[in-house]
Amino acid sequence: MAFEDQRTTVYKVDPAHPESETLPTLRTEELLLNMGPQHPSTHGVLKVILELEGERLVKSTPVLGFLHRGVEKLAEDGTYHQFIPHTDRLDYVCAMYNNFAYCRAVEKLMNITVPDRAEYLRTIVAEVQRIIGHQFWLGTQALDIGAMTVFFYCFRDREILLDWFDELCGARLTTSWYRIGGVERDFTASLLDKLKQFLDYFPPKIDEYVVFLEKNRIWVARTKGVAVISAEDAVSFGLSGPTLRGSGVDYDLRKAEPYSAYPKCEFSVPLGKNGDTYDRYWIRVQELYESVKIIRQCLEQMQDGPIMADVPSVTMPPKERVFTNLESMIQHFKLFSQGFNAPPGEIYCGTEAHKGELGFYIVSTGGGKPYRLKIRAPSFIHMGAFDYMSRGYMIADAITLFGTYDIVMGECDR
Amino acid sequence: MRATLLIKKILQAALFDEIWDAMKVTFKHMFHKPITFQYPREQRILPDTHRGALALLRYDDHQERCVGCDLCEAACPSRCIKVVSSEDAERPLQRFASEFYIDITKCVFCGYCVEACPVNALAMTKMYEFSTHDKRTLLFDKERLYDIGERHLDDAKKYLHAHNQEKNVEESREYRYYFPQSVLKPTQPPPKHLG
Amino acid sequence: MGLKPATNPDVEAATIELSIDGKPVTAKDGVSLYDVISSTGKIIPAMCYHYTFDPFGSCGMCLVMQEGKKAPVRSCTAKAAAGMIIRTEGDDLFQARKKAVEKHLSVHPLDCPVCDADGHCELQDMAFQHGVTNLASAKQKLIPEDTRSPVLDFNMNRCIACAECINVCKDVLMIDALQFMKKGGFNQVVPKGDQALSCEFCGDCLAVCPVGAITNKFSKYLYKPWQMKKTTTTCNYCGDGCQMQLETKDAEVVRVTSPLSWKNKWGDRTDTAKGHGGLCVRGRFGFEYIDSPVRLKQPLLRKGNQLVQVPWLEAMHHVADRFADIQRQHGPDAIAGLITARCTNEELYLFQKLMRTAFRTNQFDSSARYGHLNFVHASRKALGIGRSPNDWEDLTKAKAIIVLGSNITETNPLTAVRIKEAIRVYKAQVVVIDSAVTNMAKLASHPVLINPGTEGLVIEGLIKATLELGLIDEDSTKKHPKAFEALKAAVAHVSLEQVAAHTGMSIDALNSTAAIFAEAPRSIILCAEGIVRQSNGYQNVLKLIDLAWITGKLGQPGCGVSTVTEEPNEQGAVDMGAAPEFFPGQALFSDQTARDRFGKAWDVTLPAAGSGADLVEILKRCRSGQIRALYVIGENPLATLPSSMEVRAALDRLEFLVVQDPFLTDTGRMAHAVLPACTSAEKDGTFTNLEGRVLRVREAIDPIGESLPDWHIMTALANALGDQWEYESSNDIQAEIMKLLPGYYNLGQPRKVVPTVDRYLSNGYAADVAARYRASAPSGAKSQRPFSLSMGQILYHSGKMSTSAFGLIKIAPNTGRLRMNPLDMEQLAVGDGAKVRLTSDLGSLQVAVQSDPSIAPRTCFFPEHFNEPPVKDLMPVQVDATTGVPSFKHALVMIEKA
Repeated sequence: MAFEDQRTTVYKVDPAHPESETLPTLRTEELLLNMGPQHPSTHGVLKVILELEGERLVKSTPVLGFLHRGVEKLAEDGTYHQFIPHTDRLDYVCAMYNNFAYCRAVEKLMNITVPDRAEYLRTIVAEVQRIIGHQFWLGTQALDIGAMTVFFYCFRDREILLDWFDELCGARLTTSWYRIGGVERDFTASLLDKLKQFLDYFPPKIDEYVVFLEKNRIWVARTKGVAVISAEDAVSFGLSGPTLRGSGVDYDLRKAEPYSAYPKCEFSVPLGKNGDTYDRYWIRVQELYESVKIIRQCLEQMQDGPIMADVPSVTMPPKERVFTNLESMIQHFKLFSQGFNAPPGEIYCGTEAHKGELGFYIVSTGGGKPYRLKIRAPSFIHMGAFDYMSRGYMIADAITLFGTYDIVMGECDR
Repeated sequence: MRATLLIKKILQAALFDEIWDAMKVTFKHMFHKPITFQYPREQRILPDTHRGALALLRYDDHQERCVGCDLCEAACPSRCIKVVSSEDAERPLQRFASEFYIDITKCVFCGYCVEACPVNALAMTKMYEFSTHDKRTLLFDKERLYDIGERHLDDAKKYLHAHNQEKNVEESREYRYYFPQSVLKPTQPPPKHLG
Repeated sequence: MGLKPATNPDVEAATIELSIDGKPVTAKDGVSLYDVISSTGKIIPAMCYHYTFDPFGSCGMCLVMQEGKKAPVRSCTAKAAAGMIIRTEGDDLFQARKKAVEKHLSVHPLDCPVCDADGHCELQDMAFQHGVTNLASAKQKLIPEDTRSPVLDFNMNRCIACAECINVCKDVLMIDALQFMKKGGFNQVVPKGDQALSCEFCGDCLAVCPVGAITNKFSKYLYKPWQMKKTTTTCNYCGDGCQMQLETKDAEVVRVTSPLSWKNKWGDRTDTAKGHGGLCVRGRFGFEYIDSPVRLKQPLLRKGNQLVQVPWLEAMHHVADRFADIQRQHGPDAIAGLITARCTNEELYLFQKLMRTAFRTNQFDSSARYGHLNFVHASRKALGIGRSPNDWEDLTKAKAIIVLGSNITETNPLTAVRIKEAIRVYKAQVVVIDSAVTNMAKLASHPVLINPGTEGLVIEGLIKATLELGLIDEDSTKKHPKAFEALKAAVAHVSLEQVAAHTGMSIDALNSTAAIFAEAPRSIILCAEGIVRQSNGYQNVLKLIDLAWITGKLGQPGCGVSTVTEEPNEQGAVDMGAAPEFFPGQALFSDQTARDRFGKAWDVTLPAAGSGADLVEILKRCRSGQIRALYVIGENPLATLPSSMEVRAALDRLEFLVVQDPFLTDTGRMAHAVLPACTSAEKDGTFTNLEGRVLRVREAIDPIGESLPDWHIMTALANALGDQWEYESSNDIQAEIMKLLPGYYNLGQPRKVVPTVDRYLSNGYAADVAARYRASAPSGAKSQRPFSLSMGQILYHSGKMSTSAFGLIKIAPNTGRLRMNPLDMEQLAVGDGAKVRLTSDLGSLQVAVQSDPSIAPRTCFFPEHFNEPPVKDLMPVQVDATTGVPSFKHALVMIEKA
């Protein structure tokens, strides 16, 4: 041969054998395997180049950008308000939380206080969205590992909430319900009824999901001790959300930097011990119960009141005032055509989405459009730890790993 | 005690106890009504808030509500609206949209245009079936939008009500825009509510 | 009013100190406090203020607290005084300003949705900024909209009575067409006398209106400000070179806005010496020619008897083949070219390069030949400068201006605004000598009406008066005693009485004009079409330079003899060498060093020095059959020149005529090939304005149809003829010009050139001067042809191009009427619209008449933009012997009732 492949090692089966000279030689080499971008279990158009030694993963290199749509650049072209529908399309499974995180960032930039009722509404919907997110995650993770029934049950119950969203804001996925300074629409009596019904209906259903998994020995075998990451490593990789808490790090922005109505609610943050896939699964299931708890408390505490802050230079005036008052009409036209005048400065605001810390970093140089907007997407950050966490595991565990991060490529590639 | 636990565990493992548990749940579901339905024979019942196809509306007297202010164009995050406004040749000094296009392939159905409209000329309907053999028909023009508005007038009005845009028909009448008149030739009676 | 600083450079106001927000500030005594505050960079809201005029003080927004006073004071109308302690910020002031906004809002109608100013509205900005809410709604005004004017609509429901429109019209433009009138219980802005607005329609009132009370009829309801793409470019109508913003939506020009706007209202009035940023009617409302439906969109080739649309490739092949054939068969001098001075510098440069290097001929000319070259040649000969020595700032700050033979408010309205400012703010003495009662004459301190065609005589009279009154500058004349003696001898025969008798200008007027000019520290003579476009133009400019010399005005700062140009780039055409006698940079074509330099740079053997031909010569050679192919870019000689020039015959004899134009012109209809060119809104480049400033022209929209920029077509043509031109944008051409003419672009500012008058005065002056002042016997044929007919520009049009602008035609359609003095009409017993027979030496035609008091008795006027009826054909043509400039704007005629 003219040249020798560097990765190829040629060795005798057993060099110590007396007849080793005559025995045949075995050629082993690392196998490069392209997984994705069209692969049913990569949760979107993700490609990973796996270096395999046999069944074992030696190295895995995620290749990102197949779903890149330049969302951050789009933000620079529109007013602050116009970016809200674009955030729907980041983590398209959980649009509400993206809306929430973005609105919170802009409110921090503009220094707006949101009225009490709006804060409760926001918290309730955010937790409903967390339930949807975890249901979606649980169903798909189970499906990836091989349990199909859970998928159906999760999606069945998710439908109820999506329909509830439809009634709330007019869309099931691309919600755009949050507004800078408040929310678009208040709960109606029927929405409240439906939500309360769901809260009674749902906890037993969680138990049902768990029946299929917790004792299932395949599930346990494929999650316990798989993709372990220590607390130190998890912190240094910048992991957040359940992925971080699975390793036992008690860090939840809802507690660490309380926002919205969270400080007024009592809830616990479940923590894992081993930092493996099973712990992360367990945390998410526990969070379902916690979310139900938070929603119940919010519904109890919530008082009547405005759902939109009244800051004339930033928030949209109510429609009936637009028709009758000149100053509201001016405000309306100004805000829609040019946007509000943001003070120059930079701001970062992180929010605890169900995947982890979803942060918006906004640079403003004044005027109605952001100069630069950076999204700290948990999916993207988590993909950074993929290679480290996958080393030494079997090829089938790569799929578990995609799932355990709960990645959504829309958010990862932006 | 420990021994009984161990025996129980061994028994559970041997008898695949978890499968029985799971089967219990599964069998229970055999007696549930199916939650799926047969689209398109069966249709989903959509809430009034549903953000479907956009429509242009008229007043009761068939006058177009739209005054061509282009604010929907400015508010649209996906830049799918194009309004060409001009002076109405028949009614001097009255502004109207001579052309109005919504590229429904680009539309993200966020409803901002409805929110922006200062005369509530735009509304969303429950129509969501856009499939077609010709992509070009998805560029909705003014005529098509008014047509949707006429066919789905009830839905549109419910939408406006549900999204706090307009309480009722009376309100829309009250907010109707009255144009200034020309010194040369008045083209409409003076507004009653302002007199 | 005196609230603005006494900006006269001769008188300095005292400097005072005051404290603003705790910081000491120095200012001029007696200026507006608002100006002082804004000069520190602090912007207090004000809706009725604009720096170009004196403060008015109606909006009540510019409130500040002055120590020692209980209530806030309006800073705009307060005078700055020494020791004032001023506070400009604070909650109390914010609340007071908010109250003022609320006052305006409460009576404002709810019509943002249909208002064109929505999004570009100061009232909106202020309401938004001050966070006004929960306003008590007051009674609506319900004033009907005034739509009587052809250009502007007045919706007084929206008016906030800031009077910016009235002030800019009265103070800056001195037109005074608007006023306040109490009507229907409200103070409204109405056109003077509550009639339909009739004024110069410059639209500056529209530009400064902070709300949507004044709207533009041509773009009414077509846009919202936020939709527009703004392109800052240079106006394509006259030589003023005004900067303007073309606002476009997709491929459509929606409106034109000026740098003058309520949006930039802060500045010092002295800033306006370089221009106040406004536009005239042509610039602001004459944009519709750009996307006119009659624009050429595809090349045309003559097939049989008609012009047929063909693809570019076919057209270019045909054009290149035919040119190459003719060149091969008949030699390079069988081809000639004409170009308009509406092209950019880069295109003019490329045109002469194409002619000289690809066609190898020196037979070409530009439209600068119609007059500007008279001035250039005279000025070059006497002073060594081929352009006007004075810029707008000189004009504004002059103490004396003689406007001779120029209806400047019509031809160059923005240069006229500079003179108006000189009159109003700097108290200059302005002598207007013209054969018509021009608008400038109405404002001037010394209006003088003279007989038409006697401008030259007037100059002689002025020189004579200067000599007789002993107003000569000893320093200047002593240096050249010989030349001075020669001049004295040359004008010895001139008698003031005779001059007065012939010109109609009294001896007193001659004397006082001479005295004003000689005694003022900064005096400028401005001569234009009445001199350079008339016969003897070259000599008359030289005479003016003589006058400036003996009074010591040559080379003095702020003094000189200047001209204005009619087309945007006449100066550029000369500078780029688009004339047979010049290379780029005005180097003489016959000059051997220049020939070597350019021959080397272009790597060609240049055509022989004597072989060139200018416009008149080209037409003659066409008629004689010597020239067989003509390449015409943007020119329209058939419609411009009188029929006595036999242009049609000349063009008929051509074997091949190529016309490259945005429109199908009269000349284009005769062509064998018509190539669609872009207007200046669709290409990049530069114009050189009358001051010599180089101004950017920027592409606002994509070329319409398949039209292409002229430089692009010329490059393609040169390459088809076998040259290797690698220009991909006008920047590449610019780079080449920069190499050949270092410093020409010079960041837009003209290079300072010191006049070298001494060379001419000591060499050959004496010989010239005698001939110059040779007694010219005034024609005695007056009894036969008692009326003097002149053709010229009117305010609303420029050349033939503006007649494609729908808006301008709407304002000033071709009435087809001859304008006459009402007295003359009475004498002839004709009324408005009656037909008369107009007879000159060259023919006669029937034309309707119209009374116009600004026309002097025994004269009549017809705008040169229209050929229907073909009044131009009555004009005799005189060709200047030295410069080859054809003059055809003046004729003696007989008028009879028809």
